[in-house]
Amino acid sequence: MDSSQPTRFPVTHKSVSLDIKVIVTQIGCMGTILHARKEESVSTEPTFSVSVIFGKRDEPWLLACGRQLIEHISCSGSSRPLVLSLGLKDHSPETLKEIIVAVIENCLW
Amino acid sequence: MTSKELDTRFSELLLTEGSDSVGKTNKLEGQGSNDDVQITCFTEDLHDVTFHFQIIKLTKQIYVWIGCNTAKFGHLYAAAITRPNKTVAVTPVLGGTSDNTGSGIARRLVLKTGLNIIVACNIPKDSPTLEVTAERKLFEKLKSLGYIKPRPEGLPVSSAHN
Repeated sequence: MDSSQPTRFPVTHKSVSLDIKVIVTQIGCMGTILHARKEESVSTEPTFSVSVIFGKRDEPWLLACGRQLIEHISCSGSSRPLVLSLGLKDHSPETLKEIIVAVIENCLW
Repeated sequence: MTSKELDTRFSELLLTEGSDSVGKTNKLEGQGSNDDVQITCFTEDLHDVTFHFQIIKLTKQIYVWIGCNTAKFGHLYAAAITRPNKTVAVTPVLGGTSDNTGSGIARRLVLKTGLNIIVACNIPKDSPTLEVTAERKLFEKLKSLGYIKPRPEGLPVSSAHN
C-alpha cells in the first residue's frame, strides 16, 4: 500500500463462486456496485461490458477499474462475470490502481 | 462444488461440500478505524438440497449470499428503510425482474435488522418451500450472531410479516 495514502482499506475480501464477487470498502457499506462481463464470439476479439448497477453513475474511474479487472480475468482464461462493489472515500485514479493491484494479488480465478 | 482452501492477506474462508451446518465466522479489524467486518459462511445440508450461506456484516449494511446447491451468484436485491413512513423498499439490482425469489427475504431482513440489506440468491423460481427454508435457516443464524435486534421503534406492526 502506498504510505502516502491517508486512509487504508479495512479489508479486501473475496469469495468462491461461479461468478466473481469482489467487495472493497472503506466506508462501512458496499457503496457502488458494478457488473462486468465478457462477451465472446467465434471470429472476433472478446468485448467487455461494464455497467454500474447500484450507486454512483457519474464516476468514470469506477468503470475503468471494473474494466481493468474483467480484462485481467479474461486474460487469465476465465469467462466468469464480475460483480464488484466499491465503497470508497475517494475515487482518485491512484486509489483505484491500488485496488486493482490488491485484487489481482489476491485473485482466485 | 469442490472444497477449496482460500488464503488471503486478510481473511481465510473454507467451503466444504456436504457438511452439516459447518460455520466459520471471521472478524476482521479495520486499520485505523473502529469498524470491523464480520464474515460468516456456513452450509446447511437438508435431505435433498444444500444451502450455502455467506453473511458479511459491514457497519451500516449486511450482505447475504444464499446458494442453493450451486455456487452461482444468482439475483441481487437491495432493500432499505425509506423515510418518512419507515416502510421498506426493495429493488432488484441484477436479474430478478420477472422472478422475485429473494426479494421477500431482503424485505424481511430489513424489518428485522433495521440496516440496509443486499441479498444475492440463486434459489430456483417457483420454489416457495426452498425459499422459506433458506430464510428460516438464515434468520436462525442471524439471531445467533446477534444481528437481529428487537423490532426498532417506529416500524408499523402491520408490515412486520408478509
